[in-house]
Amino acid sequence: MKSLCFTALILSLITPAWTTTPTEQFYEELSFRNLKDGRVATRFSFKTVLNGSVPRDPSTLGQEDQSQHYRLFPLAMGQILREYALTELHLTLNAGNWDYDRWGYLDEPSVGTGAELWTWMADGAPSSIDERWEGTRNALGGLFCSSLGGLNDKRTTSPESVFRPEGDLPDWGKPHRLRHASLASENVCTENLTPFIKLLPCKALSGIATLLNPHRLFDADWHGLGVHVVWNEHTGVEISLVIQAVLNPFRFSQEKTIEWSFNSLFKKQVERQCPIASASTLSVSFPAGESWSLEPQGSKSEGGVSLYDLAQAQYPFDLQAKASTDLSTSVHEDFKPPLRVQRALNGPSQAYGRLSVSFSNTGAAPVQALYLETMPWLVQFYLHTLTASANGTENGELLSHIQYTPAVPHGKPATVQLEVHVPAYTEVLLTMEVAKSFLRYTDHPPDAQRGWDLPPAVVIPFLVEQNSSSNAISLRKLPRMYTNSLLVDLATPDFSMPYNVIIFTCSLIAFLFGSVFNMLTRNFVVVSLKDDSETEKP
Amino acid sequence: MESPPTKQTTAQATLVPPPPPPARENPVKRFLGRLKASPATKIRRRKAMNAKIHKNLGWLKLLLFIVGYVWMLVIPYPDLGRKTYSDENALQPAQVHTSYNWGDVRKADKYLEGLESLVAANATSERIATHLSDEFAKLGLLTATQAYNLSTTNDLSSGVNTYAILRSPRISGAEAILVGASWLSRTGEGDGTLNLRGVSTVLSIASFLRRSSHWAKDIIFVVSDGYMDGMQAFLTTYHGQTQSNIQAQPLRHSSGVIWTAMAIDYPAHSFSHLGVFHEALNGRLPNADLLHSFQLISRYAGGVPVIMYDHLDWREHPALRKQFDWVTPKWLPRSIRDRKELKTFAYHARNVWRHWGYQARGKASGIHGLMRQYRIDAFTMFALPAVGPHGFHAIGKTIESTLRTMNNLLERLHASVFFYTLTAPDRFIKIGNYLPSAVIVSVAMMFTGLGFWVDAGWERILVPGGKALAIGGKALAIGETAFRGEDRWKQRSRPVLAVLMIMALTHALGGALYTLCTTAVFLQNIPILLPLISLLIFGVPIILSSFIAPSASSQISKTLQALNLSFASTIISITTVLNFSLAALLCALLGLPLALGSSAAPTRSSPSSSGYPLKYPVYTLYALLGYGFLTLGLLYSPNLVVQAIQGGVRDWEAFGVWFVPLFCGVYVPLVVQAGVVVLLA
Repeated sequence: MKSLCFTALILSLITPAWTTTPTEQFYEELSFRNLKDGRVATRFSFKTVLNGSVPRDPSTLGQEDQSQHYRLFPLAMGQILREYALTELHLTLNAGNWDYDRWGYLDEPSVGTGAELWTWMADGAPSSIDERWEGTRNALGGLFCSSLGGLNDKRTTSPESVFRPEGDLPDWGKPHRLRHASLASENVCTENLTPFIKLLPCKALSGIATLLNPHRLFDADWHGLGVHVVWNEHTGVEISLVIQAVLNPFRFSQEKTIEWSFNSLFKKQVERQCPIASASTLSVSFPAGESWSLEPQGSKSEGGVSLYDLAQAQYPFDLQAKASTDLSTSVHEDFKPPLRVQRALNGPSQAYGRLSVSFSNTGAAPVQALYLETMPWLVQFYLHTLTASANGTENGELLSHIQYTPAVPHGKPATVQLEVHVPAYTEVLLTMEVAKSFLRYTDHPPDAQRGWDLPPAVVIPFLVEQNSSSNAISLRKLPRMYTNSLLVDLATPDFSMPYNVIIFTCSLIAFLFGSVFNMLTRNFVVVSLKDDSETEKP
Repeated sequence: MESPPTKQTTAQATLVPPPPPPARENPVKRFLGRLKASPATKIRRRKAMNAKIHKNLGWLKLLLFIVGYVWMLVIPYPDLGRKTYSDENALQPAQVHTSYNWGDVRKADKYLEGLESLVAANATSERIATHLSDEFAKLGLLTATQAYNLSTTNDLSSGVNTYAILRSPRISGAEAILVGASWLSRTGEGDGTLNLRGVSTVLSIASFLRRSSHWAKDIIFVVSDGYMDGMQAFLTTYHGQTQSNIQAQPLRHSSGVIWTAMAIDYPAHSFSHLGVFHEALNGRLPNADLLHSFQLISRYAGGVPVIMYDHLDWREHPALRKQFDWVTPKWLPRSIRDRKELKTFAYHARNVWRHWGYQARGKASGIHGLMRQYRIDAFTMFALPAVGPHGFHAIGKTIESTLRTMNNLLERLHASVFFYTLTAPDRFIKIGNYLPSAVIVSVAMMFTGLGFWVDAGWERILVPGGKALAIGGKALAIGETAFRGEDRWKQRSRPVLAVLMIMALTHALGGALYTLCTTAVFLQNIPILLPLISLLIFGVPIILSSFIAPSASSQISKTLQALNLSFASTIISITTVLNFSLAALLCALLGLPLALGSSAAPTRSSPSSSGYPLKYPVYTLYALLGYGFLTLGLLYSPNLVVQAIQGGVRDWEAFGVWFVPLFCGVYVPLVVQAGVVVLLA
């Protein structure tokens, strides 16, 4: 009781200080989306707004920077942003394959497997954009304990039409440039979460961040961390730290009822409110046509979504959700994405293969898709073999605006960007022959040879909508989608038995060289065999 | 030459002052001096060596043949092999606690009930596949069915596969493990016994696995229709291959690269042992680490003993001893009969024989065999029907633990343990201990062939006087006998072109045989057409050889035999690394018979040089060896021959087993060539 009074006293003393400096605001938001297959998609979002601030002008990079004093904004991130004069930054670390068919879209579209980093930064600095990009990924790699250093030039591309800035870009008279890289083999685990939580103003001590129990979070069917920094002309620099997970509440229970609570999902409950949060909200949504009982009841409920204001909640706060229906006996896809994209690399050969991407449109409206394929130079495209077929009949007219940047061996990746027109109720199959590189032995990592992970391709679907009155065609942009990542087998020597390989190779070379050398240097003369001038029978 | 000093001489040496020792050459210097010998000496030395080898070629060949064949026979000898071991440390077999429990067994029983009621209702493939797919869907797995048609010349099969993919949590889905069960059990190589319990096991394993979150790879469950056809359709579609005679629906769901797989075959109510079947198509084998791991897991995690194939170890089952009485006949002395090695040898020999039966014919011993072509290491676990004591619980635990072992893999199974011969579940023979046997036989054949090549280039002529005979301006003589002037060697040109034409003709004949064999008319009328075709192949060489002038025929015969043997030897030595059993079979069928070809023919020096009375009987023997045995077989068991031919052609057309083309295009022509050798001798 005493300690409670003391806390209240301290809080009452400190609170006015924040209210008098409205330059920084912190919002936390937790949402649960019940999926039809019984899983729960969860999203933790922590947003800090630095009111009235402007990203650093790259032309001032050589000069002394203004001093950075933040109350809520994470200093570690602020330092990186200003050191490299980044206008916009998006970093995601995901584990698992997002299942669009069953889980639909999340608010954060970046769900590609592994690590993905992209930044927009203006030119005009004393150091080049690529140098700043290298510094950025190394700094972030250090901050989040992940191997972002692997996002090197061999993986960096600049597909500006696919990764548009999500905020505003200040006009400094110099163009802004994009740098994008992804690393499919990056694993995400506790060591990434710990530095992530450190960036939060309340850490994991209070507010919804209390629920971030790594044991449960990293046992989810899918999970991902995201850091998004954007600049809004009207508000200022905003940083959103996002954690998403698809939890499986009934993995260990034999029961058929769908039921979950904070305690069952996270083994935690929200003990106290984060006192500095300007807003702290919770939303729970349900699939259409299912009735759920929630305990406690939400303050507002609209369109299958219950909203809670955690500032007004009773603490400790735990939410109990229970579906009135049983787990549907047969699980079918509940979410029909406008486009279903499946990618595969076929062919048993280690020298050649075929990349095939199928776009299936199950809807009644045609879809125009922007497709971006980024390949490390390990796999090289034969662009002339690119074919498109709709429901089995070849039709080259489905493709348009093809942009191809060939790979530079041992250097840059290749990018293919094209637009695919997918008519209604049609499956469009894109195929292209690829060559698999034969690597130098020093190119192989000193590691178990499982193959090479190829990053996911990115697809931006546009729904083609026809305005019935004016007959005008408009395109509605849908969130970006990511395909599955691929594993490619390249011809690999059996490194586990180097001696045999060396001995065989050396013997062969010695044998060939010896005979050829002998023949080349030999002096051919006529020898007379005096005693037996007649030839013997051999 | 100085005699070595004896005791006596040393005694003398103490009395008399020794004479100055003869200047002894340093042996190194002497050796170097030899190397510096004049080119003429070197050439002479080389010729002498060649002459020596040629003189003793007969003995050398005999030695090589004997060593090679004896080596082949002693391959099952226990001391030639060693215990299996695990090369890949990541596998960690049987190191986990299994949690497949009696609840899962109950589920398996329920699945079995469902399947049995479907079978009792005579349900169609579609109906069964839909049922299975629904069951997978209830577990929350991605699932779909795949209808396929597989047409071969003589056969059309269709069916519906069911597959489900367990997307393991937090995994990119780039790698996968396949757990498969064919609807028909491998009992009798797919004789129609249903693999209901195998399918139920797959379902219950799927329901069990979805509860755990530690899988590092996606798990693909496939219930393939038919015996092998369904899995072939699934695998070709999965890997984006098109096979012209398979029409299969595209797969709706897909996963990553499959590294390892296992097939579950559990046909009867209970089982006593788990049998390992591992032969893949065209003699390929899965990585031995996988088999070793399974053997350990089954023994220690599942508590089920492992056997090779469905061969019970008769040393452990006295009731079966009667079957093996032939190994230890009564007339053998008791001390030999009771030797452990002999019994072990017999047990191993049976396993090796079965293995050769699959491998030499290029047949897969189960659906696992179809996977090796896609670099998937796979095997079939066969639950040997018995009255007890094991059931779903034991097989479930074994599968779970095996999956955990496969899940541990960080990279593909590699380390070159793809060349081995398993003699027992836990014993194998290394490549170095079996491969040389066939190579030695092929070397013997090559030597024989080269011997004939030399013979074909030289002619021995008797010279009445002691003077050298000048032929074409050049006198040739060899050895002491030559100088004595009794006979001379004359060089003559070899009719290589004619011989190559004959060889090409025989292979064309083989090609024609292959074309005929793969026609529907032939496959439906084998008992009538096979003798006719055999007669044709028998007759063509006789007719054609009659056109060859008798004066040239013996030359052609020798050269043909030389090339025939060299060609056969090359084929065998290449085959040894690709498919040892096939090489061994070719050694047995071609080795001595081809080498002996013209030895029955009279030599020129013998008085009756005008005729070769045994010519046609020997030729007929060759015909029997090459293709006639099939016609002969028709007399005894027409069904067996018809099935063998139809099966072989189907294996080629459906799965790409090379045995029939090889038989028609290589084996038969080689034997026909040997027959022609006899005809012309």
